[in-house]
Formats: sequence, structure tokens, C-alpha cells
Amino acid sequence: MTAGAWICLLSPLAGCLAITLAGGRISRRTAGIVATLSVFVAFAGALVSFAALAGKDAEERAQLSTAWTWLSAGGFDVGLSLLVDPLAAVMMLIVSGVGGLIVWYSIGYMAGDEEERRYFAYMAFFVFSMLLLVQAGNFLLLLVGWGLVGLASYLLIGFWHERPQAVAAAKKAFVMNVVGDATMALAFFVLIQQTGTLDFAGAFAGAEGLSSTTVNLVALGLLGGAVAKSAQLPLHTWLPDAMEGPTPVSALIHAATMVTAGVYLIVRAHPVFELAPDVQDLAAGLGAATLLAAGLVALVQTDIKRVIAYSTMSQIGYMFLGAGLGAYGGGMFHLMTHAFFKALLFMGAGLVIHHLAGEQDMRRMGGLRKAMPRTSLAFLVGSLALVGIPPLSGFWSKDAILASALASGGYGRVLFVAGLAGAFLTGLYTFRMLFLVFWGEPSGLVAEHADGHGHGEGPRSMTVPVGILTVLAAVGGLLEVPGLWHVFGDWLHPVAEPLVEPSTGQDYLTSVLAVSLGLAGIWVAWLVYAARRRTVPHAPFLRRLLEHKLYFDELYDALFYRPAVGLARFWRGAVEQPLIDGSIAGVALGAREAGAAVGRAQTGFLRSYVLAIAVSAAILLVVFVSVK
Amino acid sequence: MTGPGISWYVALSGALFGIGALGVLLRRSPLIVLLSLEIMLNAANLTLIAFARHHGGADGQIFALAVMAVAASEVVVGLGLIVAIARGRLELDVDKLNFLKG
Repeated sequence: MTAGAWICLLSPLAGCLAITLAGGRISRRTAGIVATLSVFVAFAGALVSFAALAGKDAEERAQLSTAWTWLSAGGFDVGLSLLVDPLAAVMMLIVSGVGGLIVWYSIGYMAGDEEERRYFAYMAFFVFSMLLLVQAGNFLLLLVGWGLVGLASYLLIGFWHERPQAVAAAKKAFVMNVVGDATMALAFFVLIQQTGTLDFAGAFAGAEGLSSTTVNLVALGLLGGAVAKSAQLPLHTWLPDAMEGPTPVSALIHAATMVTAGVYLIVRAHPVFELAPDVQDLAAGLGAATLLAAGLVALVQTDIKRVIAYSTMSQIGYMFLGAGLGAYGGGMFHLMTHAFFKALLFMGAGLVIHHLAGEQDMRRMGGLRKAMPRTSLAFLVGSLALVGIPPLSGFWSKDAILASALASGGYGRVLFVAGLAGAFLTGLYTFRMLFLVFWGEPSGLVAEHADGHGHGEGPRSMTVPVGILTVLAAVGGLLEVPGLWHVFGDWLHPVAEPLVEPSTGQDYLTSVLAVSLGLAGIWVAWLVYAARRRTVPHAPFLRRLLEHKLYFDELYDALFYRPAVGLARFWRGAVEQPLIDGSIAGVALGAREAGAAVGRAQTGFLRSYVLAIAVSAAILLVVFVSVK
Repeated sequence: MTGPGISWYVALSGALFGIGALGVLLRRSPLIVLLSLEIMLNAANLTLIAFARHHGGADGQIFALAVMAVAASEVVVGLGLIVAIARGRLELDVDKLNFLKG
């Protein structure tokens, strides 16, 4: 059973190394196939682990496999260990399964790019890092995976390194993520100092005896990491810019897997969070704020990928809301269904972008329904799942979260209302996108590309994964039907027991409210963008506010970037130029002048040198003789 | 031990060394300078061997052999340089070969 886990972890690493070492000796297509196969082998390993787990009793479904002791210092030691339990198994299946489909899709999407081999090596490396993150048996190994996925994300956002915006976006993502990494590392330092261990079980047991301040600090540090990785307020500004990377990267890293790592962390470390209820509430509140803010900003975006990116932030907001309220099953369930439908939407957007030769501006699209009927169907399924229309997957998972919010009363009610408002916004921005891209008359650009390529809606390596994801997005939610069965929740129950259990009545009430609000959003989008019976209300202030993404970039620019640059300028003028540059220039000048002075003795006349040697030898002789 | 006394050897060696040194100092052809250097080295060799015989030890003689080997190598390099200078159509005059002056 643990062999399956190790194969799952190491296969993508092997694929990455094979592509890197083979270099130019293999064709670009072969590199893509190697990467895809290595990820599917990982999926097979995950399936083996999952099957082995499922065959055991619920209480014994956690196996720790330690390869060797990695670090040891005094009484503190950390092993290179993998933990396979129901939570890790779910994440392994999602990461390797959805990851495999997306890498496969990349073979078609990236065909013809100059540096495909590098791309596939990075993709395999990302899958390895993400699997390390979810399989890690202790916090330190988790942090290693955490950092490596950040690196992979940086490398892939900046994949087209000749584009300055891509490089800037990669840098921004990396810096924002490192803020989170740092707070997490601080939390781990506190844990080591207070409990003496970073093993999950030991740390959770040790945390119970700590003072509330300490636990709050640890939980805050973990939350900081989760917020940065999952692009929640206030560390969210990197995610929209990350859309500069290739579209499959957006689908894999910035929708399906990496950005949901924060939710995984909260669920994984839930014993710590449960000891710090204030931080839990903060997490849920941040999730609610993010889902509203991102939903609002998504309304005015014109780039198709950015709309989906904001939608991702918004949906992760739901997951945070659920995980923060203790609805761990609901949060993880939404993570899974979101991986299906959001990867589907990104890959559908990728097909559109591919078809239109790189155009991403929705204002130049329209009427693609006729040219790309199957893509528009897949996109429609993904959109309906995102809005949460039954019986598609998003409906079951989003309502599980909202029902838990309703059931937890008080503070939960406020979040519940925010979540309902978010459901309306989701319907509105999703169908605005759908109608702008696929409905209406074909725009000039679309007509131009109507028959240009001759490969239909895309190569088979792209359309088949999209088809599979369409099916998953449609039926993936049926694992959990309120009042009938709770397969997913029961599976996770031994790892993370939920704090709230909504009653069936609350479930149905939520469903009715959320679905009608989602439909209302779709209806408004229909009126404005498809039927064109209404126009967008004229509100210049609000519009500017949203188009500037609530001024977060400007705020950080004023708060951090400008003071840092100003300070750097000051020190450069006050210290670096006069002191450091000056002293170095002085040393150089002194050496040059001394050299010139000594150099004058070098006349170039051989006999003068000989004479000097002879005279010196004679003087030495006299000295020796006379001293003796 | 028969033959001249040690002082004769030292005197001859001193004379040879002086001739060599004057040659290095005064001549301008690099070839002659190299020859003069050889004379100086051999003057030193002569002293080494003479004192070795005088003291009845073998180490001075071994040392002289080493000096010969060094001298031979030095001549190889020196002649190579002179040939290279001649090929480069430069004047064979040590006073004019002064590109390395400071």
C-alpha cells in the first residue's frame, strides 16, 4: 500500500528528470508523452493506495511510511515520511488524475512552441511537488512541497520569458507566496519550540497543552500560508496576473490543484485551528470577503482567463468559508468538484484561445457556438456546475458548505448571506462570459477564424481530456446527496470530523435559495448580454473601483513598493555610492597608481636588470662577509 | 689526491664567471647572451665539482648534473625564443627588445 504512495510520488519526478536529462535527444512530442505517462502512472499509484485504504476498517485508514530519518538534532528529528490517509488519498487522486488530463491536453495546446520540453519537465516537476505537499507525513516535508509548488508556479507563469508581463507576474506570484511561506515557517518554529516535534500527530497532541496565545500564533502563521497560496484577501493580487502563463498551467496550478492547497492545509491542521476558534472565524470571514470581492471584480473583466481566475478566487473563498466553519467534508468536496469544473472551464477557454490564435479579449469574441458546438457544450456544463445548478457537481458541494454555514448559526448566518450573494454573482459573471463568448452573432475575429485551421475544435489530445472532465464535472457531485448518502463526507470523517452537521431541512432550504439566486444571476446576464434588453447601469465610480480590482495593487504599491524603492534610493545615495562604491574605486585607483610608479623601474633594457642583480649580489656578499 | 690545488679551480671558475657576466652585460646579440649565461653556469658547475672532489663527497657532483639538465632545458627555451624573434623579423638586439618596459 505504501509502495503505491511512493510510486505515486516519485513517478512524476522520474518523468521530469528523464525529460531534463534527455534534452534534445527526444522529440518535443515524446517529452509530452513521457510527462503525461509519468503523471498517469502516479494516478495508478494513487488508485492502488486508495483501494488499499478502502479495504481497511475506517479507524485503521492511516499509514505512515518513513523512508529514512531526514534531519536529526538532539531530541528533534524529522523523517522523510509519507502519510497515506483518506484526506491524502483524495488529494492524490485529484492531483494526479486532473493533472494527468491537463498534461495530456498540453500536448495539443503547446504543440509548436519553441521550448516544449522545458514546459513538460516543469509540469511533471509541479505534479511531483504537489504530491509531496499532500502526502507529506510531517509539517516540514509539507513545507518543502509548499515551497516547491511555489517554485513550479513561478517557473510556469514566467514560461514565456520573453514577455515582460509574464516575468513580472511570475515575480509577483513568487513574492506573495513567499510571504505566506515565511509565516508558515514562523508557525513551525513556534511548534518546534513548544512541542518539540513537527509530526502531525505529535504536534496536534502537543498543541492541546499550549496557551491560547501560542496556539493562536501558530494558527495565524498557518493561515497566512494558506491565504497566500490560495489567493485569498489580502494576499490575492498575484492570481489574476498569473494568467500570463500558458492556459493549461492556469488550469492545473491556478485552478485545480495548487491554489487549493490552503484549504487542504486548514483541513489537515484542523486540530490546531479548532484550538484557535478566533483564527477559524477569521479564515471563514476572509473566505466570505474574498468570494464577494472576487465575484464583483469578475463582473468587469474583459480577459476570458481573468474572469475564470477571479471565479477561482471566489470559489476558494467558499472552501475557506467551509473549512473555517469546520465543514471539512464540504470544503474538501468543493475542492474536488471545483478541480473538475474549473479545469474544464480553463481548458474550454484554452480551446477558444487556441481556435482564435491567441486572442483572450472577450469583447472581440462572440457567436462561437456555431463554430465550436462541442466546446460550447462543455463550457456550458462547466458554467452550470460553477453556478451550482442541479444535478451538476458544483450544486452539491457549494450547498454543502452553505448549509453548514446556516447550521452554525450566529456568525455563520452572516457568512451564509455572503455566500448566497456570491451565488448570485457567480451566475452573473459566469454567464456574462458564456454569452459574450459563445452567444450572439459571430464577431469579425470569429468569422475570420471560422474555417482557417482545418482541425475542427482542436486536436484530439485536447478534446478528449475536455470530454472526460465534462463528464466528471457533470456527475462528480453525486458522491454526496443530502438526505440519501454521504460517501465523501463519511470517507473523510476519520481524518477530520466536521464541527457542524446541517439537518436535511437546512440542506434543502439552502439548495432552494442558492439555486434560485444562481438562476437569477443567469437571468440578469441573459437580459444584459444575450437578449440585450437591458444595459449595464451607469455607475462610473463603481465601475472604476472594480476595474482597478478594488485598488489593491495601488494600495500595495503605495504601502510597500514605493517606500521600499524610496528607502533603497536613499541608502544608495547616502551609503552605497560614497562609502562602498567610493572605497572600492579608491582601492582600484591606489593600485593603479602604485603600479605605474613601480612600473617605471621596468626599463626594458636587459643589461640594466643584470647590473642590478650583480650589484645586489655584490652588496649581499659584502654584508655576509662583514657580518661574519 | 694529485693535480692542482683547490685554489686553481676556484680561480678558473671565477675567471669564467667574470667572462660570462661581462658577456651578458655587454653583448647585444641574444645568442651571445645565452652563450655567456652557459659559461656562467659552467663556472658554477666547476666550483661544485672541485669542492666535491676536495671533500671527497658525491653530492656536489650530483648537483652539477642537475644544473646541466636545467641548463640544457634553458637553452632549448632560449633558442626557441630567439628563433621565434627571428621569424617575427624583429631585430636580434636585446636593447631593442624592450616591449615589456613599464
